[in-house]
Amino acid sequence: MNPLPHTALAAPVITTQPPQIDYALLAPLLVVFAAGVIGVLVEAFVPRPRRRAVQFTLAALALVAAFVLTVVRVALLPAGGAGLTVASASIAVDRPTLFFQGTILVMAIASLLLIAEHRHGESAFAAQAATVPGSEEERAHVLAGSQHTEVYPLVLFAVLGMLMFPASNDFLTMFIALEVMSLPLYLLCGLARRRRLFSQEAAVKYFLLGAFSSAFFLFGIAMVYGYAGSVNFAVIHDTVAAGGAGALPGGGPLLLLGIALVGVGLLFKVGAVPFHSWKPDVYQGAPTPITALMASGTLVAAFGALLRVFYVAFGGSVAEWRPMMWVVAVLTMVLAAVVAVTQRDIKRLLAYSSVVHAGFVLTAVVAASAEGLAGAMFYLAAYGFTTVGAFAVVTLVRVHEGGAESGDIASWAGLGRTSPVLAGSLALFLLAFAGIPLTSGFIGKFAVFEAAVSAGATPLVVVGVLSSAVTAFFYVRIIVLMFFAEPAEARPRVLRPGRLTGAVIGVGVVATLVLGVFPGPVLDRLSPAPGAGTAEAQSVPGGFATTADLFANR
Amino acid sequence: MDPMNYIVLAAIVFTIGAVGVLVRRNAIIVFMCVELMLNACNLAFVSFARMHGNIEGQVIAFFVMVVAAAEVVVGLAIIMQVFRTRRSASVDDANLLRH
Amino acid sequence: MELYAPIFVLGGIGAAFVVVSMIAGSLLGPKRYNRAKLQSYECGIDPTPQPVGGGRFTIKYYLTAMLFIVFDIEVIFLVPWAVHLDALGVFGLVAMVLFLVNVSIAYAYEWRRGGLEWE
Repeated sequence: MNPLPHTALAAPVITTQPPQIDYALLAPLLVVFAAGVIGVLVEAFVPRPRRRAVQFTLAALALVAAFVLTVVRVALLPAGGAGLTVASASIAVDRPTLFFQGTILVMAIASLLLIAEHRHGESAFAAQAATVPGSEEERAHVLAGSQHTEVYPLVLFAVLGMLMFPASNDFLTMFIALEVMSLPLYLLCGLARRRRLFSQEAAVKYFLLGAFSSAFFLFGIAMVYGYAGSVNFAVIHDTVAAGGAGALPGGGPLLLLGIALVGVGLLFKVGAVPFHSWKPDVYQGAPTPITALMASGTLVAAFGALLRVFYVAFGGSVAEWRPMMWVVAVLTMVLAAVVAVTQRDIKRLLAYSSVVHAGFVLTAVVAASAEGLAGAMFYLAAYGFTTVGAFAVVTLVRVHEGGAESGDIASWAGLGRTSPVLAGSLALFLLAFAGIPLTSGFIGKFAVFEAAVSAGATPLVVVGVLSSAVTAFFYVRIIVLMFFAEPAEARPRVLRPGRLTGAVIGVGVVATLVLGVFPGPVLDRLSPAPGAGTAEAQSVPGGFATTADLFANR
Repeated sequence: MDPMNYIVLAAIVFTIGAVGVLVRRNAIIVFMCVELMLNACNLAFVSFARMHGNIEGQVIAFFVMVVAAAEVVVGLAIIMQVFRTRRSASVDDANLLRH
Repeated sequence: MELYAPIFVLGGIGAAFVVVSMIAGSLLGPKRYNRAKLQSYECGIDPTPQPVGGGRFTIKYYLTAMLFIVFDIEVIFLVPWAVHLDALGVFGLVAMVLFLVNVSIAYAYEWRRGGLEWE
């Protein structure tokens, strides 16, 4: 007997055909995953003294190989079309995917160099995380030179999640990617060598708030599934276009609720106001190399996912979600900029700066156009390089030789006279954050604001420009402090950059300048050529019928 | 019985969990409330799967259970760590970062 | 009704096994009592007196619970596969073997690093 007589229920269809999987298109993900798994085996079987070298080599090789495979995959994409989907359309391999994955991998390699940096046998991570801070046991481990090489597999798993997150073409894959990305990061946050109580507290905060937000994300997915009867982005798009699914007529409120809750989950990962409260605490408490990874890789991945969800799945309901994004973007740009002015700790300041930048990228999301997508992509890549470089500088300024990092901005006074090269690089990064011409930050801001204006969001751009002015004030204040103020009484000790850290800062400087002075080749590639869309879409400016056509989704 | 009732139940359970996260102070209980929210999601998925007559929702429920278990492991590890340091699992005691 | 017959038979066998093994144990097992054996729980935490504050589980229980969960939850994927074993064919088998290999690697890590030792 059917317990639900009034609902017409079809028998669930279970396909018995094994799925066709094009492993070449998934190769970078598989390489990173395999390296992570081998890393766990290394932890289990390789003797302690050799682990660090083996783990670092393995992780570096895997990330470089994944990057090469990502570049090679560009050739596998069909010319003209948006791209391909793999594994029963659960992963989309298209131009945005490849760009985001490539960016994430470069950021991950840079962060990996910072993670691997050692001084006198000490890394940025706790000798033995299981010991109680300040205990005899901890001291014994520090003296014995223990180290957590588990960090490397954890980073690889986090990077795997980041690679999957912007490539997911259905909500189930996206949710799994979100968790694969977040769970290792929660652990990594709590592993700082110095100020371990801060670090552990940051981990608890990040974990509880992250789990809370992912529950919202999941409930949002449930609502969207209730509306569309599927979690596949293309199916959701079609259902929205058709005005609802047959099994559940009148499901409009479900869709709205779903959009809002999914938005909460994604905006939390992005760190937009009012879901930003974790960011300053976590950025400050986490080991600085991990902060660099989160500030670059996680942000890029989260925005990639946000763009895909709102452009493909909810591409037909732009009118519904645009007001929400407007409010969030304005709040983010205004509140974060104001609060940032009062910060005294460099890592907290960079965290608030990251929140403000998320607001700028959101103006491009609001545009809901090909230009918006291209602008956001350029902005994220440019910001990623700059922020990794800035955090690399932070790792070098210590309270004393072999001590904790000197986060207090006041103690950085006069740094420009004692270490001009380091202070000069930081000044360049800060100018790029502020969006001064000839840096990548300027081009990025120009691209996103231009996209927003051409989509009719001029008031948003006005707010953005004002917010830029406020943030420029505190960036310039630091530069003035470093170059024109008398050195502070308790001057911090500036460590000589090791080869790895030096390389990261150098790459940051070069990328910031090159993308600022010669942005053309990158920007042209990101901006879709006129008429690149489908034939019937020619009537629409930009050549695309809907934002969903910018991505592969079928 | 109308399957929509289950959706309403899921929404109520989800809300109880969310309120619990916001008002309870013990990290373990906060964490249990998050698990309650995830289970509410599962109920919603399975009910919607019944309404739509496809199994996608049931499959998702499986994955959510696994993710919840993984989250339990990571969460307990982090909370345990802090507990050993402070001898307390209260969220309010963790306030070094509050400015 | 005969649809449920195997279940009743299985339940009967299970109950008989319990009864038989308890009787066999009391008849055949050696009886050398000491103080530890006369406590209500022969192993695990002491039931009385309760420590101040109602008593808490030691952290080792959480550790064990966490390790247990990892290997417990994999069944969630094994059951649907087992139910549809025929239809999923070689692809399903290979996928499941790969999954189990991954879980075993986590197990190897745990074992080699002393996660299974109870001090």
